Amino acid sequence: MSLLRAWITLVWLSFRRLLWSGSTLMVLLPIAACTLFILRWRFRLEGGSFESFNAFSLFLMFAFASFVVPICAVAYGTASIGGDREDRTLLFLLVRPVPRPLVFFAKFFATLPLALGLVMGAFWLYCQLAGEIGALAYSLYLPAIFYMTIAYVSLFHFFAVSFRHSTIIALIYALFIEIVLGNLPGIVKRVAINYYGRSMMYAAGVPEGLERPDAQWFEPISATTSAAALAGITLVALLVALVVFQRREYTDLT
Amino acid sequence: MFLTFDHVTKFYGPVIGVNNVSCRIGPGITGLFGANGAGKSTLMKLASGQLRPSQGTVAVGDRRAWSTEAKRHFGYSPDINSFYEEMTGREFIYVMARLYGLAKADARARTEEVLREVGMIDRAGRRLAGCSHGMRQRVKLGQALINDPPILLLDEPLSGIDPGGRREISRLLLEQGEKGKTILISSHILVETENLADSVLIIARGRIVASGTLVEIRALLEDRPLTVEIVSDDARQLAALLVAEPDVRGIELRPDSLLIRTRNPGRFFSRFNDVVASNQVSVVKLQTLDGGADAVFNYLQQGPR
Repeated sequence: MSLLRAWITLVWLSFRRLLWSGSTLMVLLPIAACTLFILRWRFRLEGGSFESFNAFSLFLMFAFASFVVPICAVAYGTASIGGDREDRTLLFLLVRPVPRPLVFFAKFFATLPLALGLVMGAFWLYCQLAGEIGALAYSLYLPAIFYMTIAYVSLFHFFAVSFRHSTIIALIYALFIEIVLGNLPGIVKRVAINYYGRSMMYAAGVPEGLERPDAQWFEPISATTSAAALAGITLVALLVALVVFQRREYTDLT
Repeated sequence: MFLTFDHVTKFYGPVIGVNNVSCRIGPGITGLFGANGAGKSTLMKLASGQLRPSQGTVAVGDRRAWSTEAKRHFGYSPDINSFYEEMTGREFIYVMARLYGLAKADARARTEEVLREVGMIDRAGRRLAGCSHGMRQRVKLGQALINDPPILLLDEPLSGIDPGGRREISRLLLEQGEKGKTILISSHILVETENLADSVLIIARGRIVASGTLVEIRALLEDRPLTVEIVSDDARQLAALLVAEPDVRGIELRPDSLLIRTRNPGRFFSRFNDVVASNQVSVVKLQTLDGGADAVFNYLQQGPR
């Protein structure tokens, strides 16, 4: 009972500190920029037509899923443990009688609602602003966005427990590995979470009129395989992060 | 409850942090002295379960210090000056109390109790970001006391506190020591810790080079002469009497005093009393110049000559 109370305290503490942190500002900026972009763009939309749906889907894929989602995940995923680590306040948690795996999961479960809330909220907002095609896109792409967000958050938790300056490393990963490697021809792109997310989006969108990508550049895999890959990345990242966090001696805290 | 280091060695890659340290720290206040890089912080981190020993064991009671269960039995005040800056001192200590699983009401009551103990009750509503170094030290001490642990590990607890505050904190620590708690204080403020600690551990180059009371340690350093200043109305006569003493290794005659360098302070003082009494020489003042913690510490840092 007392352990549960301690754990809930830690979840609430982490949630509250993340919510009122610079991370929230950091993610609100790209979300607001995309909102303005859609508002401006909507004047050119012809609701429900093939081209508009295609264009909106590409916007969701390349601006939202490839940029906003990883940025949100970096902001909260690395800040939850990485922020405490950089501020050296993690020490106050590690000397309490809360098992390290529970500390890790408290951080993860404090992060997840924030990251998911912001990403899903922004996704819903964009789809609402886009009108009819937005409603269609929302129903089609929701699972892909959901899986991607969780995978990114898990991966960035792994970065946070493993590297001292995890935010910088995660940003480099999100902006370089994900965007550059995720768009290279061949199978190199399979190292990117983005690839699986986009595969899921293509699998859902193509039957509704989304233009199939040039196979030479991007050969999507099936939605089921992509979802399984994202779920696998999530589980492996969490498991490895948990083991690292459990065993790691954080010598940089004092 | 005892804090036990049993043949503990800690490596940082190829660098050795502490080297085959064995000691048992029991109830009362123990001072841990050491220069920067001597291994003092490593020892504190091992004791507070932040580090695992590469060899040997560190135990809090009968539990390994790294284990979660051991963390119920000690309070740790770190040397760092980092907090959740947006919180007030009261909020911070309350949250730490909650992390021990205390119910809200109990955590609130305990927080107020601890704030009173560390002298922060009237300033606890201030945000930590705006608190002075001394206030932050008190909050750190408060969070270490929050679970009323049998073992307290305090890294530089008096640093940055004003003289009045030091007296208060020292009194608080003495009270905690009298309650039978095991308190390990790592400090550079040797003189103050000297007055506070029942015993000391001196660490140099990763090894415990001395342990015990300062008097015991000083007595062990037989090859290190102790300098004694004696102010006497008849310094010249006293010098003539003392020069024949086997434990006197040198005498420096000054206009109104003598500086005696002695090899064995215990035996010298015993003989000194006899010499003074039998020859009826008046002694105005007698003081040891290098018998304090600083001098002992410096001797041990230098190693045998």
